[in-house]
Amino acid sequence: MQLHLQKGAFLLLFLLVCKCSWAGIIRGKVSDAKTGEPLAGAFIHLQSTQYSTTVNLDGSFIFKNVPPGKYQLEVKLLGYTYQNNIAVSVNDTQQTIVAEITMESQADILEVVTINTLHDKNADRTVRNIEKNSDMVQNILSAKTIQLLPDVTVANALQRVSGVTIQRDNNGEGRYAIIRGMSPRYNNTLVNGIKIPSPDDKYRFVPMDVFPSDMLERLEVIKALTPNMEGDAIGGTMNLVMKSSPDHFLFTANVAGGYSTLFAQRPFTAFSHSSINKQSPAEAHGNTYAATSADFPLDNLHYNNKSNPINSTLGFTIGDRFLNKKLGIIFSATYQNFYRGSNSQNLIQSAQPGYNPTANTPVFTDAYERQYSTQTNRLGLQNKIDYVFNNRNKISLFNLYIHQNDLQARFTPDTTVGTNSSAVSRSVDVSYRSRWQIQDIYNATLQGDHQLSNQWKLNWSAVYSIAKNQVPDMASYDFNANVLLDGSGKVTRVDSTTYGTNMGRIWQRNKDQDVAGYLNLTYTPRLFNRYVEFMAGGMYRAKTRDNYYNDYNLKAIYTTPQPFHTIDQVSLAFSPAANGTGTITALNANSYSSHEYIGAAFIQAKFMLTTKLQVLGGVRAENTKQDYYTVMPATFDGKDGTITYVDLLPSIHFKYLVQDNQNIRLSYFKSVSRPGFGEVVPYTIPGEQFTEIGNPYLKHVQADNIDLRYELFLGHADQLLLGSFYKRLQNPIEYFVTRNGGPSALFIQPGNADQATNYGFEAVFTKYFGNIGVSANYTYTHSEVTTNKLLYHYVNGTGVITENVSQTRPLQGQANHIGNLSLLYKSSKMGLDIQLAFSYTGERIAQVSQYYNLDTWQKPFSQLDLSFEKRIVKHFTFYAKLNNLTNQPNQLFLKTPPSVINQQFSGYKIPFQTSNDFTIVQKDMLKLSFLGGFRYKF
Amino acid sequence: MKSRLIILLLIAASYGMSGCKKLSDDSSNIYKYVLPPGATVSDAAPLCGSIKGVMLTGKTYTLGCDVYINKGDTLIIQPGVTVNSTNGAGIIVRGSFISLGTQSQPNYLTVQGVSKNTTPGIPLAKDSAHIGLWKGIIGDTSCTNMIIKWTHIDFAGAAYGNVAGPAVEQKASTSFCILFQNPNGNFILEDSWLWGGTDDCIRVSSGKIHVFRNTFEKCGGTGGDIVNVKGGTVGTMAYNFFIGTAYNGQKASNKGQPTGAMQTNIVMYNSTFVNGGLQVIPGQRGSTINYEEGAAGSFYNNVAVNCRVGYRVVINPVADTLHLTYGNNYQYADSLSIANQFFTFGPVCTRPQTTDIPAPYSYLPANYTYGASYDGTPVVQALNPQFVNYPLPSPYSPWSVSAIGSYNFRLKPNSPLIGKGNTSVTPLVVVPVDMVYGASEVTPPGADLGCYQTNGRGNQH
Repeated sequence: MQLHLQKGAFLLLFLLVCKCSWAGIIRGKVSDAKTGEPLAGAFIHLQSTQYSTTVNLDGSFIFKNVPPGKYQLEVKLLGYTYQNNIAVSVNDTQQTIVAEITMESQADILEVVTINTLHDKNADRTVRNIEKNSDMVQNILSAKTIQLLPDVTVANALQRVSGVTIQRDNNGEGRYAIIRGMSPRYNNTLVNGIKIPSPDDKYRFVPMDVFPSDMLERLEVIKALTPNMEGDAIGGTMNLVMKSSPDHFLFTANVAGGYSTLFAQRPFTAFSHSSINKQSPAEAHGNTYAATSADFPLDNLHYNNKSNPINSTLGFTIGDRFLNKKLGIIFSATYQNFYRGSNSQNLIQSAQPGYNPTANTPVFTDAYERQYSTQTNRLGLQNKIDYVFNNRNKISLFNLYIHQNDLQARFTPDTTVGTNSSAVSRSVDVSYRSRWQIQDIYNATLQGDHQLSNQWKLNWSAVYSIAKNQVPDMASYDFNANVLLDGSGKVTRVDSTTYGTNMGRIWQRNKDQDVAGYLNLTYTPRLFNRYVEFMAGGMYRAKTRDNYYNDYNLKAIYTTPQPFHTIDQVSLAFSPAANGTGTITALNANSYSSHEYIGAAFIQAKFMLTTKLQVLGGVRAENTKQDYYTVMPATFDGKDGTITYVDLLPSIHFKYLVQDNQNIRLSYFKSVSRPGFGEVVPYTIPGEQFTEIGNPYLKHVQADNIDLRYELFLGHADQLLLGSFYKRLQNPIEYFVTRNGGPSALFIQPGNADQATNYGFEAVFTKYFGNIGVSANYTYTHSEVTTNKLLYHYVNGTGVITENVSQTRPLQGQANHIGNLSLLYKSSKMGLDIQLAFSYTGERIAQVSQYYNLDTWQKPFSQLDLSFEKRIVKHFTFYAKLNNLTNQPNQLFLKTPPSVINQQFSGYKIPFQTSNDFTIVQKDMLKLSFLGGFRYKF
Repeated sequence: MKSRLIILLLIAASYGMSGCKKLSDDSSNIYKYVLPPGATVSDAAPLCGSIKGVMLTGKTYTLGCDVYINKGDTLIIQPGVTVNSTNGAGIIVRGSFISLGTQSQPNYLTVQGVSKNTTPGIPLAKDSAHIGLWKGIIGDTSCTNMIIKWTHIDFAGAAYGNVAGPAVEQKASTSFCILFQNPNGNFILEDSWLWGGTDDCIRVSSGKIHVFRNTFEKCGGTGGDIVNVKGGTVGTMAYNFFIGTAYNGQKASNKGQPTGAMQTNIVMYNSTFVNGGLQVIPGQRGSTINYEEGAAGSFYNNVAVNCRVGYRVVINPVADTLHLTYGNNYQYADSLSIANQFFTFGPVCTRPQTTDIPAPYSYLPANYTYGASYDGTPVVQALNPQFVNYPLPSPYSPWSVSAIGSYNFRLKPNSPLIGKGNTSVTPLVVVPVDMVYGASEVTPPGADLGCYQTNGRGNQH
């Protein structure tokens, strides 16, 4: 296809004469006539000369040493009207000519209906404009920004947004977002403004790593809610705006390969999942069937090594408009296949601390060196079809499908340094685990926009979504062995017997299905000499959820213990044999179905109170009705339940236009956070350290939020945002200890603390200097919550006691200081983009302990990533992403000095320690990984 | 201008903070099971559901399904009663359970038509003792009294399942023969017999205990401690006889101490452990007596014969070694591998005591530190305990014999165990002493080591 450059430009030309006394210079700026955004990359040429250049990031261009004369400037940019009649005259070499050139987007001409301004929607400058013009407090990443980021998933891209930190999985990959110190439960995820269900087995929040970042048109983080938005976000709402139909033919494709340097040091461990049964024995044969070891094939516990596994990503997007531009179609597909891993050092804490030498001295049972190998493959498909009937009516259908497989092998080769040790023996616990997780998300949204009259507008959406998660047959086994040493520490013998051999097999799956409808009506009359926009609407969503959990545990059975050779040779059985029946394993409270019906209605008005002050205010009512039904018998307390409540959520947002490029915003909104679907079910799930139980009496969280923000937009794409926020939460959900049953498992259970507060401020700064850009953001957050904790200590005369004390601490996951700094270099002329991105997350609580002062903290984490793009030939770009340049490890620690812990032992010292002030309990070594490939763009 | 803005904001804020508090409160309707009131027991039909009252002397009762003794209710079993469990039923106790067998009229809690097999070396999977034919006696956190005297409890160890398990806040797969979980309740087990099991035989999560003069055979399964007490348990274990245990016979830990409960403090004396630790690998667990994780107390006058691992004071997680005393404990080994584990390795800090028999420094190196290996050759087959009828060295692999059968572990007059006991140990009595609602007898420590005394006191079986 050829470039259609049309004449007929709208031209505005300033010629200013500067009395400088050196060379003849022509400088200027090129911007969009309508939005004023700088048009970086535009080709500019002094006709009939050799002088040509491309426009810089900030829209500027310059020609130096131009001989005196009269010239015609020619400007070309895809999607904009070609101009070749801009007259410039240079009288002598002592002159600087400044030209301000604006260009008209072709879209405005081509587009029959003005639905939107169809200039390049993906561009950074567009989103700056959306931020500037938006009614509420939000931050946005554009597709161009995302494309240039070193991140391939939305989760990792989110960490670049001001005020956002990410929670990482074992492989160091971002998974969940913490917004302004509010943990994932306090945030929600929308796709094109529509709430989507989560494949998570317990919570509502969506794992953000399932979304390939190249599916996005932009990523919005909205930090203050308006009445027309769903009210269940206290930290913020993440809105993934997916690619929409282009105004002309579009085709882009990319392919890349990569490698994690971790697997240069050790092989990737793989297991076969082809023989894994999706159904547990109890499902296949009924709950009364007594399973035996024969029902559990061992194929998925056989491992093989893959050396130098290659990561790959593939993707393409194709779109065009047909039928006289009335029908728009876009389709995009992404496939990613990644081999990731980490080597992890773990000290495993006993459920209960010691009292010696001081109260709550941590006790460790094992020292593990774990190796994770995870293969993730992810398929993302989306398409959008829109049809424009006329300039008043438009409908669209959006489809999104995401399918993700995670195959994770966890190998714990050796407790080479076990705390169960003496000078002559060490006990080791070797364990293997194979986990296959399948996650699917599908969403179909049919939307209509109707301009009923000049004053009345209607839009509606009909939504069907499904989110599925399956972990079929998670298999693990472990065996104990004694390593015997002589007095000098030399290993004399390894005694590995079947003692303690256990094999666990768990089937877990859950499915959420949402059917929802949205309807909004907008009325814009002219009252008191100004336009007032009234909006009213509602939504209704019915959710059905199913959850299945089945947990088998087999033990080695011999009359006398036998040496361990391989898992295949161990005689395994249920003890008692009845523990293999589904009535024991599958009939638990974690197998349930539940529903949630949310009906909401809102009314809001937006108007200019004065010429400079915009007010948007209103109220939203949300009615929640939730129920669950477990498979438990009638004797079981909490077998089923219904929970209802109605929230009235007022909000008001002021935007004061100090000047054209400056806003001050002040807003108040009330919002809620509902407990996870799983949390209100009285389930029991054994965790790595603690057994977790549900709480049907868990209340939803309500919050009052106040935001103040100053915004300054300079030089088109530069910005400075300064903001502060204050949140007060009623009934925040925290995990508490309860001890109802056996002593070996202290339960942790979600519960409501009385109150929590969270406040802070944030600053965002973006500045472009010609080809170089700097983007930085910083957020300070302070939160407080007070909960009951246990103190285990020795009291003279009484003995050892366990008592309740209260402790004030930050909310889990909240770091006081978080920040990002990116340096960008962009040369349109060379077709080169380079970005160096640094992100920092300060110290924060990773896991709340039920014991006083024993919370597990995460060390400040900083990561340095590099990405670049270089145009090779027309349409083709080479790109590369390098992650974790500094091999930064992820470290968790306790604030107890190792010397205190070591006093429990005579001479033995706990391993993995690097400081005298704190005790490292987990260290994940994540290595540099890189990805390189080609992008084709038509 | 600015003040108007602030006022508007304040109005909105105050509305949000106060408005419609009632509506926004969570109104939940969560299913709650209401236990039917306890029906008076009768032998006319199989028992099922909530029961209370008195089981009468000489009668036989049948459990048709799980029975519950409700909070505040009591079930008393008079002497000479047999209770047969069918369908794997168990007895869930939220009130009081009192079984008052006597020496001449013991009670039986059992399963009909199953025979006990004492064949040496019978595989676990083929032994009726380890199938778990019924659930046993399961106390929840509100059980105030579980008093069991002169009672046979046979073949228990079935998994609690998804009715009884959740009813006592346990997993469905839990399968203890007896469970007690009330730090303020009394658990009294006297002169009783326990046969078989699949996991811990008796688990006391918390409670005041008195465990005297009982006999444990074939207890535990692929694993399991026999009398396993956890955080917040106080009392005495004495004159018990254990044979063929999976792991430890008597174990004390302060793990999971509830708030408001006392530290675990157990006095143990005059118990006998024979062929203990079927499922134990040295270095990992104990097979006789074990103190760990903050447990205090004392242990004296105990006897261990051919147990895989000796007396064990654990160092990680460490027992309350400052408040733990011990001595006068006897050990016997048929083989070197057993003698080498009298002072076992692994996470232990058991200190040899000069009162121990055989004298530790007759075979330990002079500079012995706990956990170190040594040569136990001098004590192999040394100081035969001289049981009335039990050949030593055993003709069988020691762990093959897991029941008393026709053997007799009382002491011959020439036994080296006679007169070696420390009688100054004070029992820790925290339960009432009462013929019905308490302990019948707190037998003081005996002059002879082990549970059988030449003066006729101690274990009466």
